[in-house]
Amino acid sequence: MTGDEFENVFDDLLNGDEELKAFCQVLQEQVPQAFIQLHGDNGVVLPEVAAQPCSAEGVAELLAKTRAAGGRPVAAQGQAGEWCYGLRVDKISAVLLFSLPGRSDNLLVEPHGRQLLQGVIDYALLQQEQQLLKIENEQIFRQIAVLKQKHTALIEDNFRQYRLIQDKEKEYARTLESEIARQTAELRNTNARLEEASRLQSEFLANMSHELRTPMNAIIGFSDLLLELKLDKESREYAQTIKNAGMNLLVLINDILDLAKIEAGRIELEHAPFDLRETVDNVASLFRIPAREKKLSFMVEIAPQLPALLYGDNNRLRQILINLVGNAMKFTAAGEVAIVIGLQSLASEQAQVVFSVRDSGIGIPPERQQAIFDKFTQADGSTTRKYGGTGLGLAICHQLVQLMGGSIAVKSVEGEGSSFFFTLPLKVARPDAVVAPRPEPEGRAEGNMQAEAASVRSALRVLLVEDNPVNQRLASIIIKKQGCELAVAGDGIEALAQLEKHVFDLVLMDVQMPNMDGLEATRRIRKIEASSGARAQYAGLRNRTKPLSIIGLTAHARKEDEQSCYGAGMNGFLTKPIIRARLEAVLAEEAEACNLGRPQGPAA
Amino acid sequence: MPTAQELVRKFSDLKTLPHVALRLTKLVNDDRSTMHDFEEVIKLDPVLVTRLLRLVNSPYFGLINKVESIPKAVVYVGMKNLRNLVAVEALRNLFRGGENENGFSRKNLWIHSATVAIIAEMIAKRIFGQEGEDVFLAGIIHDIGLIVEDQLVGESLWSACAAYDPTKNTLALCEQESIGTDHCLVGNLLAKEWRLPNEVLKAIRLHHDMERKHSLGSITSILQLAEYVAGKLGYSPLVGRFDPLPDYLVRHVRSTMTNYKVIMRDLPSEMAKAKDLYETDL
Repeated sequence: MTGDEFENVFDDLLNGDEELKAFCQVLQEQVPQAFIQLHGDNGVVLPEVAAQPCSAEGVAELLAKTRAAGGRPVAAQGQAGEWCYGLRVDKISAVLLFSLPGRSDNLLVEPHGRQLLQGVIDYALLQQEQQLLKIENEQIFRQIAVLKQKHTALIEDNFRQYRLIQDKEKEYARTLESEIARQTAELRNTNARLEEASRLQSEFLANMSHELRTPMNAIIGFSDLLLELKLDKESREYAQTIKNAGMNLLVLINDILDLAKIEAGRIELEHAPFDLRETVDNVASLFRIPAREKKLSFMVEIAPQLPALLYGDNNRLRQILINLVGNAMKFTAAGEVAIVIGLQSLASEQAQVVFSVRDSGIGIPPERQQAIFDKFTQADGSTTRKYGGTGLGLAICHQLVQLMGGSIAVKSVEGEGSSFFFTLPLKVARPDAVVAPRPEPEGRAEGNMQAEAASVRSALRVLLVEDNPVNQRLASIIIKKQGCELAVAGDGIEALAQLEKHVFDLVLMDVQMPNMDGLEATRRIRKIEASSGARAQYAGLRNRTKPLSIIGLTAHARKEDEQSCYGAGMNGFLTKPIIRARLEAVLAEEAEACNLGRPQGPAA
Repeated sequence: MPTAQELVRKFSDLKTLPHVALRLTKLVNDDRSTMHDFEEVIKLDPVLVTRLLRLVNSPYFGLINKVESIPKAVVYVGMKNLRNLVAVEALRNLFRGGENENGFSRKNLWIHSATVAIIAEMIAKRIFGQEGEDVFLAGIIHDIGLIVEDQLVGESLWSACAAYDPTKNTLALCEQESIGTDHCLVGNLLAKEWRLPNEVLKAIRLHHDMERKHSLGSITSILQLAEYVAGKLGYSPLVGRFDPLPDYLVRHVRSTMTNYKVIMRDLPSEMAKAKDLYETDL
């Protein structure tokens, strides 16, 4: 494609004389007095109506001369003596003829005249060029205007997009918020459900504990009673076996329930001042006799710099120690068992106490040392068969130590012995802190408790309120054996009925009963005692100088159970299963109090 | 004889615009779309990314620093240019193949379309002070109906081509005779499916309407001007044959002749630029 092709695209649309006309017009404006004629190559002659610069013949001759002159101007003199000029203008493809009337000299002879002529023509041509440039300029301006529009549009669009993004972000934030709200609500629900499930589980545990302990109580209690009878050797052996098996089972049940409680997060640690030496001595005292029987040396070492009183859960600590020492005794056939208590550090009332229980027993193979703290695991399966036990003891110890903020570990060489040690952070108590009374031992320690010889507690009138017939019977026998008078009621309503007619020194009140439970019955009794009118209707309450002694019997040794017993107005409580020794102790205490409180003395 | 609708339906079953093109045109039409949305779509097509970066770094944009990130390029090029870029890419593929000796060549048609697009954009910008992007799109796509006909009713189209005589009729009229519809109607329907702007649709439908006087500066009128110039330069779909310029446009050109002369003077360099941009076979 050549440049010409592009330039000639619109030629068809043109008459071809626009350019010539424009040129002609400019020249006429420049030199108005001149005669001008343009002869286009396409045959056009301009201006259409104008005076001839010279005669027709002259024009024809001048045209021919000019065309032959090759771009140089040509001059010719007309008949009237005037000069006519011809010039080929390539740019507009035409020949220009012109004359200047009134001038009789040949301009072309003068160099200035020639230049003048050329100048005028160039000017006219430049005019056309200028027109083109002007249009070009206009086009550029239009395009600039378009760019400006686009620029404005871009800015507007940017703003629009900015707003859009903002909106989207807001929407996103809203969605996020509602999503978070939804999930939070869901979590709350789940949490509530879990809490409910956990509450139910814990309730179940409490009930289970009650349900399991009640028959165990009967088994142990009655085999105990059986052993007091005159029996032949064989029967005595059978009865002893039943009692031992029952005690073992009770320990096992207590372990399982304990572990379940710990895992359910249902265990509450005490934080009370206690005497560590006393606790350790107490544990040691349980094992001195068995150690002697197995011919083991039994040693207790307590670092002298250990503070006298510490804050902590005395009972749970005892439990851990009993467990560890019990294990040590179990797995050691010869040599020694030792309890060593050391002080790792003592800083600003905070003591790190290291407990260790060492034995020279069978030891634990290294690959099993980690697993023994897991549930239901002993050093190997054969251990259970040979030594018995549940494998729960160490798991409970592990959990309890963790709960107390410490850690437990073992060092052992197979065949040489094991050493269990744990460290507890314990706060130092001031020497004047009130030491909580050491509760009666429970569980495995109970086996070592022997009932004191029954003293005659004549005329202590006892009302036993208990719904379970087996428990009723067991308690009745124990109480009667103590020489007390006994009446029995099956629930709170019956108990109130008994109090209407009879006088009692002591009420043993089961907490969990149908119809009216022990707590409600106690509350009623206290209410009656408080109103002289009501009191008059109850023979059992009418003439009392001090409130009737009511001891609760509860299957749950939980803190809240204890609190609800006292809250209802009880004077004390005993945990079930009823431990003979404790019941006897309560009876003895009460008899003493009554003897002091009643000048007339018990009726013989 | 098939209707325009039938042809378009059949053609759409055969050939579809690339997914990217459809999504981009949708985005251009959506007031709620952001540059970010464009970015996401363009990223899917590596060829498009290359073209986009080439375009934004071409002398056409005259940027001092080289642009190498897609989001930046998208902002510089703008939504409509982006749409055109995609359209050129998509149509180039539709215009491939189909060479035959029946006086109809897809390659010729492609060169014709590209030339018309470039000239039309120049006229829109320089004479009417318009942004030119929609006009360019109309130019590149105005004869798409011919491709549809070539694909589906080739022989009828070829006989229409043979019957076409610029002094007596238009190609569209000949198509009506032999096919029962024409590429203006078919192209209009197809472009409608692609959701192109209404002005573009109208121009596709009317670009062979020589009877009516279309308003100066409308896409239709600019398309007719550009078609004439392209034809004069030898770039008509059927070489040597093209419609004469309608009278209203002849009058317009005469009255602004210098303007058109300037455009013609700059056209060769613009075409060279476009060739570089779009890699068209000009």
